[in-house]
Amino acid sequence: MKNIVKQIIGLGFSVLLLVSCKKELLTAVPQTSITDATAFDSPERVLNQVRSIYQALKNGNFYGGRYQVYGDIRADDFINETTNGVTGFDVWNLNPLGTSQNSVKNLWSQAYYTINLCNLFIDGMAVKGTSVVGTTLSNNYLGEARLVRALSYYSLLQYYARPYADGNGSKPGLPLRLTGIKGSGFSDLARSTVAQVYTQILADLDFAETNLPATYTSNELNTTRAHRNTAIALKTRVYLSMQNYAAVVTEGTKLAGQAAAPFKAANGGVQDSLQPNITTIFGAAPVYNTTESIFSLPMTSTAGDNPGTQNQLGFYFVRNGASLGAAEYSMNPSGILANTNWSATDARRVNLVYLNASTGKRFVSKYQNPSPYLDYAPVIRYAEVLLNLAEALARNNTGVDAKALALVNAVRKRSDPATTITAANQTELINAILLERRIEFLGEGLRNNDIMRLLQTIPAKGSVPAKTPSETGYIWPISADELSLNRLMTDN
Amino acid sequence: MRKLIFILSAVLFTVLSAAGQNRTISGKVTDEKGTPVDGVSVASSDGKHGTSTGKDGTFSISVPATVKTLVFTSVAHETQTKAIGAQSTMNIVMRAKDTKLEEVVVVGYGTQRKKDFTGSVATVKGSAVADKPVQSFDQALAGRVTGVQITIPNGVLNTPPVFRIRGVSSISLSSYPLVVVDGVPTPTGDFSSTNAAGNALASINPNDIETIDVAKDAAATAIYGSRAANGVVYITTKKGKQGKARINYNVSFGFTSAYGIPEVLNAQQYTDYKNMAATNNQNLNTTNPSGSGYTKFIMTNGPDGRPIDTRWADYIYRQGFSQDHNLNVSGANETTSYYFSAGYSNQEGIVRTNDFTRKNILMNVDSRFNSKITIGGKISYSNEMNRINSSSGSLNGEGFGTAGAGRLQFVTAPNISPYRNDGSYNISTAGNFIGAMNNTIAQVGFYNPVVLFDKNRSNSETNHIQGNVYLQIKPVKWLTLRSMYGIDYLFVDNEIFQTPIHGDGFAPIGSATSTLGKYKRWTWSNTAQVDYTFKQKHTVSLLVGGEQDRRTSTGFGLNRQQISDPVYTVIQAGWGINNSSGSVYGENYLLSYFGRFRYDYNKKYFVTFNLRQDEYSALPFQKETFWGVSGGWNLNNEKFWGAMKNVFSSFKLTGSYGKVGNTGGIGDYASYSTYGSGLYGGLPTLVFNQAGNNVLKWETSYKFDLGINFGLFNDRITVEADYFKNNISNLILNVPQAPSVGLPTSVPSNVGKMYNKGVEIAVNLVPVQKKNFTWTTNFTYTNIGNQVTELAPGLAEVLTATSGLETVNRTAVGHSVGSLWLVRSAGVDPATGSRVLLNSIGNRVLYRFAPAAGQFNWSNPDGTRYNKPDGSANTINQTADAYMYNAIPKFYGGLNNNFRYKNFDLDILLTYQGGNYVYYGSWAGLHDQRFWNNHVDVLNAWKKPGDIASVPRPVYGDNVSNGSALPMTYSLFKGDFIKLKNASLGYTLPQDLVSKARINSARFYVSGQNLFIFTDYPGPDPEVSSNGNTTSAPGVDRNTIANGRTITVGLNITF
Repeated sequence: MKNIVKQIIGLGFSVLLLVSCKKELLTAVPQTSITDATAFDSPERVLNQVRSIYQALKNGNFYGGRYQVYGDIRADDFINETTNGVTGFDVWNLNPLGTSQNSVKNLWSQAYYTINLCNLFIDGMAVKGTSVVGTTLSNNYLGEARLVRALSYYSLLQYYARPYADGNGSKPGLPLRLTGIKGSGFSDLARSTVAQVYTQILADLDFAETNLPATYTSNELNTTRAHRNTAIALKTRVYLSMQNYAAVVTEGTKLAGQAAAPFKAANGGVQDSLQPNITTIFGAAPVYNTTESIFSLPMTSTAGDNPGTQNQLGFYFVRNGASLGAAEYSMNPSGILANTNWSATDARRVNLVYLNASTGKRFVSKYQNPSPYLDYAPVIRYAEVLLNLAEALARNNTGVDAKALALVNAVRKRSDPATTITAANQTELINAILLERRIEFLGEGLRNNDIMRLLQTIPAKGSVPAKTPSETGYIWPISADELSLNRLMTDN
Repeated sequence: MRKLIFILSAVLFTVLSAAGQNRTISGKVTDEKGTPVDGVSVASSDGKHGTSTGKDGTFSISVPATVKTLVFTSVAHETQTKAIGAQSTMNIVMRAKDTKLEEVVVVGYGTQRKKDFTGSVATVKGSAVADKPVQSFDQALAGRVTGVQITIPNGVLNTPPVFRIRGVSSISLSSYPLVVVDGVPTPTGDFSSTNAAGNALASINPNDIETIDVAKDAAATAIYGSRAANGVVYITTKKGKQGKARINYNVSFGFTSAYGIPEVLNAQQYTDYKNMAATNNQNLNTTNPSGSGYTKFIMTNGPDGRPIDTRWADYIYRQGFSQDHNLNVSGANETTSYYFSAGYSNQEGIVRTNDFTRKNILMNVDSRFNSKITIGGKISYSNEMNRINSSSGSLNGEGFGTAGAGRLQFVTAPNISPYRNDGSYNISTAGNFIGAMNNTIAQVGFYNPVVLFDKNRSNSETNHIQGNVYLQIKPVKWLTLRSMYGIDYLFVDNEIFQTPIHGDGFAPIGSATSTLGKYKRWTWSNTAQVDYTFKQKHTVSLLVGGEQDRRTSTGFGLNRQQISDPVYTVIQAGWGINNSSGSVYGENYLLSYFGRFRYDYNKKYFVTFNLRQDEYSALPFQKETFWGVSGGWNLNNEKFWGAMKNVFSSFKLTGSYGKVGNTGGIGDYASYSTYGSGLYGGLPTLVFNQAGNNVLKWETSYKFDLGINFGLFNDRITVEADYFKNNISNLILNVPQAPSVGLPTSVPSNVGKMYNKGVEIAVNLVPVQKKNFTWTTNFTYTNIGNQVTELAPGLAEVLTATSGLETVNRTAVGHSVGSLWLVRSAGVDPATGSRVLLNSIGNRVLYRFAPAAGQFNWSNPDGTRYNKPDGSANTINQTADAYMYNAIPKFYGGLNNNFRYKNFDLDILLTYQGGNYVYYGSWAGLHDQRFWNNHVDVLNAWKKPGDIASVPRPVYGDNVSNGSALPMTYSLFKGDFIKLKNASLGYTLPQDLVSKARINSARFYVSGQNLFIFTDYPGPDPEVSSNGNTTSAPGVDRNTIANGRTITVGLNITF
């Protein structure tokens, strides 16, 4: 009996021994990512985080493609070819719902994700990052984060809030989030007014202008990372949307101080200027990082480093021969195409509009790189700064402002040397500038915002009727998710 | 010294024996019918002398005179003990074992007599799932077990069924039960990442299964602690049975075909109808706003000169042929049992190119080394090919894919053909669509499905190895020590090719993807069990043990685009762009200690305690203890029960309560907030990509069960009834945060609460039991109520989208999980033909697509604009106006009747469910007024004022009135059905006939699956789930291809 007891005890022990091992396996640490506790531990990690902010901005749902696409297709220069809700059919027919996943919801989420990355970065630099990279570099980086944050808020305002012109910014704007969020419990936040959001945008851009580097070491970085002129250029856009034309003049003059062409940024930073030929920057063999492309988002063929399926600019706008895009949107034959002030020999018509001979349809062909669609996504170009400044000067000065005329002609004559824009009065000048914007920025997403900042009716196109500023659908509804989860949020 | 005594006594004993006077007893053993029984062990009562009966049942044994009794034992019969009288011949009649009494259930790390068991476990015999036209056993469980709901979500082969034991027990995590195969947990779910489904459980050949034990309550599951909340399914594979080797061969052939295909317009009807809709669109029809001759849609003549009239379903469905072969060899002698099987199954699905092939082998061996040590183990290998060339649109996440065949079948215009008249594929030159032919509208379909089915591939191959080895030692009679090491290695090879000429491969100029996923697991468990009976009335049993469970998953792969030559179709060929694909890296580890204590007094009172402590690497290092207590009372063994004993052949009350957990679906690193790596213009980035929760813990279920089991008329009728309530707390919700907080992922948090409660009843009847005719009936009924009682603070709802696009499932407090959330539609306005919807307070609101000047999209019945109270324009939308409809069946079950007449057997299984709604999203699609083809009922659409119609006035481009853009109750239907799930008729060849051919038995059978559905549901099948197993999104039928109907003939032969 004693032996048996011994046996049992021995065996029992061995049972326990067999089991009580491998404790270290209980602490499984991720092998494919960095935990948040160490994300600011080295200069490389900090720099990689800066780039991640741009990466988020570059997402296909945001500035990688769709933001620009929506800006074009809401307006009257494009016709939807596929009635596909995933590729903006609802946006095009001015009827998106708050539950529209591929437009209203995704853009909202991605823009705020970008904003949160900026906020987390700003917070993290204060806690640790600045001590890791030093003050100078830290300020540069913070300038970049705040610029991207400003751009994101500005972009959200254009679709989800009433234009500034409607009540001088007194209408509901956006939940203004300025601190980084890593966990749950922060959903509730009411909308600030449009003006309050603009105030923050400008504060960020002013900070960015002061702290960003004047230039980087390469043309590529000067295009793909924000520098001082990027902040100034964006300010001309922001102030124009606010109809603060004096401020547009102030900012625009920093980048185009000359009284007459050639215009060029001569403020000691990147020497931004127009390229002699628009086909240098768009079309079959574009150079993406010229001094005209103040800010563009780079693409490579590596998965995740391009906008992804059904988000790419080329996918939407181009149909060229056997391959290329999906021809989601053709040019409206009764839109800008029908405008006789756009001459048939204009380089932008000759080189950047494609005629599909078999269907007779025309397409904007600024982005001709086939799948995986590696054309850089333009955010802001020097041409826009010139036209922003031109419009502000034209609106600020009665009569025909000479510099305004010179600026708009600088853009026109580059592509259409045979034509000189003239204006008999201020209104004609303004209209000429607006027309020039419509031609110059086709496929770059500015048209809708140009209509709405002036509180104009969105014209009819195809089967879609016009939309007056007082109608539902003039601006987008708020994302249904936001309404459901942020108890202080209100719908449009 | 001891040794010496032993030797001496042995010698003495031998001498004594030899000295005793031996006598020889001979005789014959037969069964109740008089048939000789061979292999019966005949032994002296002291066990020192023994023999066994021969083929003719006779035996002869020589025993000393001191032996007064002989013991006759046989596996299939009750043991007989007979006194030896004066006679030297004994004829014994063996009675067949009362299998009910001896029935055991698997309880985790052991088995137990069913009669003594105090928890809720249902046992399904392997024969119930064998020989069925299914790919995995779980598909065949519907209607057979109370509390178990099985929904085959679609008609794609090897789709994991929606498997719920006593309801949905989670919102964000998995509700799939834990499946333990021969003691080793196995992965569940779809491991394919292609358009072919790849249920991991298909690796278990249903023909190799001996029993399936479904454990439902805390008592039965608590031994699996943190993984038990969804119930546990124990699979026991077949082992060799005592006797000489048996060879069994089963072969079957079958045909499967689709049913309930939506009836759509033919070419002429389509052309006329769409032209009418285009005419009705005043924006489109500006040239001829009032005329009727406005033609955008024009018929095209085919090569035969006659108008094309294409029935697209004919290009998507097919009649599938299947064949199934299973061969096994098994046997056992006193010390060793073995079972070896090989299976080959090749099944064709109803969707063109959808095939399933399984080749598998299984070997089970158990060997008693000596009276104390047993060694055994098993090894199984299975290879499954899951094939389909192009998306069926039916798997979870595929519902809105442009290539989805389930939608293409009814979207694509019937007045075009898949081929041009010159025989080439009909592909648009203007875009990546099917060509419009004479129609003047650019698009009359999405992709050309024929090209995709001809040219693409989307296959998944699984190699699955399951094995274990164990050592069992019984140092003394009452102690069992056991150590088992098991592995489960699952390797999944996914392979996709997309042609550059059309479809998803068009833009990338061809695309090929190959990924390999390796999911490896080892489990090591060590247990010690004490079984002891004292004073004959007290039986105790104590189990203690420990277990380690280690899982790693790694995956990698390649996606290549821009094919360099159109002739290539494999990834190894020449391509332009290479990207990584299918990267997976994960590891986890579960360390557990557990115990079970059982006690019964005189087989009258039973109590059981289960305990398990788990520590899991995916959760921030904390231990948690799970437990279950249960008791049983066998009233039939009570004296006071008295005369009731004559009424009841058995009567038992049971009750249990306990706490179990759920971890299925928690990410391996869910507790961490992480930054991942990406690229910006080719340069590295570090981006916040996961919001973690460092205080995450287990979901916990408190399960309560009260059961009553009784038998009447000598168990001719048995009834098992249970009341259960499962309170689930600490529900892990991936709590959605307002998108404006900008988190990359929702944060997993233990916040929600819900309950499932209900009643289960199983009735087994033997209405007729005669020599030539028996009829057995098995009826199961489960009634279940689910309600969410708490979500996160401030969280009113969890919305779940179908395929990321359409949101109709909403989980909210006070409702069942994933209720359907729809705007109420109220028919068609007879005056204008507009769709009428109801707003939140029930006011009628009219929708008009493309309104004329002075009209509005949204108007009041009088035509004025529908406004908010402040006068600004308003719309009907889900957030403000939708209502909730229960999507979870409130009752379900089955009725199985088995008839046996002479050599014929007939088995009929009906399944039923009800009390739920199904959102038939395809119905919205079938009424969409874009280029999409429509259901034939649009022919009765509104045409003139005064018409009472169910379909609104068609306006070309309208995708709101039909529910495409705004989900509405127009597409909501009751999900009640009764289904003739399976019927099989068999004929067993007469014994005397087959024995001449040296065949033990032979049975022919013909069997049918999904033969008939009684339902008001207008779609093909209300048993459907477009969102697969997603717990928070049940009851959706969106562009899904339904189950097929299968007829099988087979032969089962044993040598």
